[in-house]
Amino acid sequence: MDLLPDRVAWYVVGPLIGLLVAGMFALANKPLGASGAYVQTIAAIRKRASEPWRAWYFAGLLIGAVIASALQGKLQLRTGYELMLDLWSLPTTVIVLAVGGVVMGYGARMAGGCTSGHGLCGTSARSVASFTATATFMSVAIGVTFALHWLTGGRL
Amino acid sequence: MKLVGLLFGIAFGFLLALGGLNEYEVIHSMLLLEDFQPYLIMGSAVAVAAPTLWLLERRGFTTPFAGPMNPGRSKVERHHIAGSAIFGSGWAVAGTCPAPALAMTGSGAMLGLVVVGGMFAGLMARDYAETRSGVDLTDLDLGMRSAPKVGAG
Repeated sequence: MDLLPDRVAWYVVGPLIGLLVAGMFALANKPLGASGAYVQTIAAIRKRASEPWRAWYFAGLLIGAVIASALQGKLQLRTGYELMLDLWSLPTTVIVLAVGGVVMGYGARMAGGCTSGHGLCGTSARSVASFTATATFMSVAIGVTFALHWLTGGRL
Repeated sequence: MKLVGLLFGIAFGFLLALGGLNEYEVIHSMLLLEDFQPYLIMGSAVAVAAPTLWLLERRGFTTPFAGPMNPGRSKVERHHIAGSAIFGSGWAVAGTCPAPALAMTGSGAMLGLVVVGGMFAGLMARDYAETRSGVDLTDLDLGMRSAPKVGAG
């Protein structure tokens, strides 16, 4: 199926995401953060989740992407990191991505949120901690990406 | 509330994939300052959510699930800055963040699973470190503060 374009314009996607953020605060005073969903998913598996709905939110994120990519005609098994695999072997790429994931998880847990929790929800609620967190991870991510670009001779 | 969580997840995962944020190349180009769509998505989301929240709070709106409208706010502490700097480094390397990593996996990109697995390990490692040091540093409740220490047992 090819019912939806590959990339829908930002002025459609962005405001709709904004409605979801506002909607979750309006329904339950809760920020719609993704790293909290990971935390609660682990807790749910151990049967001690304090907010079980976040584990359902975790599952929903996967399902929603399956539906969207199917409608875009893009749902197919692939690596997703073709650009990186042009540069490194599969085992190296797996190690790099695993390290990236671990660092991200550690940092998000320490910071109390990630791009969605701080970047979208906390800033929308005018939390000073979230503005600071967002400015920090944005500038560090841009800096490290430029460093990677330079270290790989422009191939990444 | 479980159904609400599931539906919000489906909607957010759908929108992330629709905006192309489930693609490594898109996030990587964003951080190389070559693609500004992701910034516009984030900016317009906040531009819609912030005034909506302000208005609801001002009018004393009562939420169906949790009483009077009261989005949690925190003062800046060192762990927000240090944690975000660590998070930002991982984000740059993986070229995806926690929600897009799931959207990426959902759209068939199998290496997204490696990032998701790493995320779980990293979250548990931080939990373990906090339990050992005996201080709970996560004060902003993003589904985290009230969570039991998952790395402890």
